Amino acid sequence: MEIIEKKADSFVILNLKGRLDTTNYGELEKKILELLEKKENNIIIDCEKLDYISSSGLRILLMGLKKFKANKGKFVLCNLQENIKEIFEISGFSSIFDIYESQNEALKA
Amino acid sequence: MKIMSVDDEPDMELLIRQKFRKKIKSGEYEFVFAENGLEALTKLIEHPDIGIILTDINMPEMDGLTLLTKINELKNPTLRTVIVSAYGDMENIRTAMNRGAFDFATKPIDFEDLEITIKKTIEQVEILRKAEKDSKQLFAIRHDLKIAKEIQQSILPKKFPPFPSRKDFEIYASMNSAKSVGGDFYDFFLINDEMLGFVIADVSDKGIPAAIYMAVSRTIIRAAALTGLSPDECMKYSNDLLSRENISDMFVTVFYGIMNTKTGEIIYSNAGHNPPYILKKDGTVVETELTHDIVLGIMEDTKFKTKNITLKPGDTIYLYTDGVTEAMNKKNELYSEERLEKELIQHKDSSPQEIINGIISSVEEFTKGAEQSDDITMLTLKYNGN
Repeated sequence: MEIIEKKADSFVILNLKGRLDTTNYGELEKKILELLEKKENNIIIDCEKLDYISSSGLRILLMGLKKFKANKGKFVLCNLQENIKEIFEISGFSSIFDIYESQNEALKA
Repeated sequence: MKIMSVDDEPDMELLIRQKFRKKIKSGEYEFVFAENGLEALTKLIEHPDIGIILTDINMPEMDGLTLLTKINELKNPTLRTVIVSAYGDMENIRTAMNRGAFDFATKPIDFEDLEITIKKTIEQVEILRKAEKDSKQLFAIRHDLKIAKEIQQSILPKKFPPFPSRKDFEIYASMNSAKSVGGDFYDFFLINDEMLGFVIADVSDKGIPAAIYMAVSRTIIRAAALTGLSPDECMKYSNDLLSRENISDMFVTVFYGIMNTKTGEIIYSNAGHNPPYILKKDGTVVETELTHDIVLGIMEDTKFKTKNITLKPGDTIYLYTDGVTEAMNKKNELYSEERLEKELIQHKDSSPQEIINGIISSVEEFTKGAEQSDDITMLTLKYNGN
């Protein structure tokens, strides 16, 4: 998995590329904790190039959501591929995350 | 560091106490003295924490070379011996080195040089002691893991057929964890004569943390289910308990169904688990509908829903965890739902055990040579009718 970070308005956008699973979820965890440390408030996870997410990956996103919400920040997702959408549907995660069709919509969140 | 000096010259003790008085006073060195090999062995038993032995070669009763042999027999891997002998005694010194002495110093003793030798030996002994401690810890952890695995396996029902007198249904299940302990589990139990409860679940992690979470989840769900709660009530009760205690954002996906053994009707809730398949007698395979319930353990006060499906005699419900469909081969391809469905169709006339064994072989064939990365757990329940 590759994580590309960029800034847009008050958001930090993390573009995830490849597979987020038990072998590499630690990298995303580290990145999210780092952004918390830097007092970033609003995060967009762009999943356009994310091909696969395992339950360990979901757990890290959940951690991010809880931590940013606790700081009254935003932690939103966008551009989910069909198979990722399905995983969010099955797991019920689609009901607890704010999910947007595009980065532009997410930025207006 | 406790050091033993073995020498038959009576001056030796005085000399050492004098030359190393600062180190002795500060507690850095502690000395034990013996006058020959035999006495040295006795002292070794009295002081098992001795790390370094400085020994002469020519002594009455037992000489230094024999002492070295005896020390080797003690098999203490963190004990080091330094030979202190006359310069002209090189042949014996070589023999001692070949018998495993760590270093040597010559007489008359140059105490500055001896101190360097002792310092170097202490470093070595400390490294060895640390390595020994680490290895003992590792051994203890392995031992604990082995016991954890036994406990984990023992809480899963493993006697098949579990209800030999029941001919109206057949059930089989298996769990293979990727690490020595896993986060998957299955369970089944008769709530009463006509209600068979069955569960499959997957904790969002692996190893020890997942195994602990698994044991807790399984116990809560079973306890709630056996009181006769409906699947949605059972999920709500378990979820509220698990969410309250959750500290590391772990969660568990759970499918819980109750089959009416008179009618074949199954009422179920699916909290974020892969939808089980129904393998019909005519060879068609259909996915059970989602109830769109959220995984257990992350949100208190969530409501859960139920759905119904009815098995006709000869139909089987097949439950699995994503370790099956996400088993990966060396080309990084997933086993996938497509392959699973195709394999299931091959088994329309098979028993629950044959279905699971068939899929295990098929997954093994597919992943040949690749390491298993996730727990693989399955449960099959076939309805025979009355």
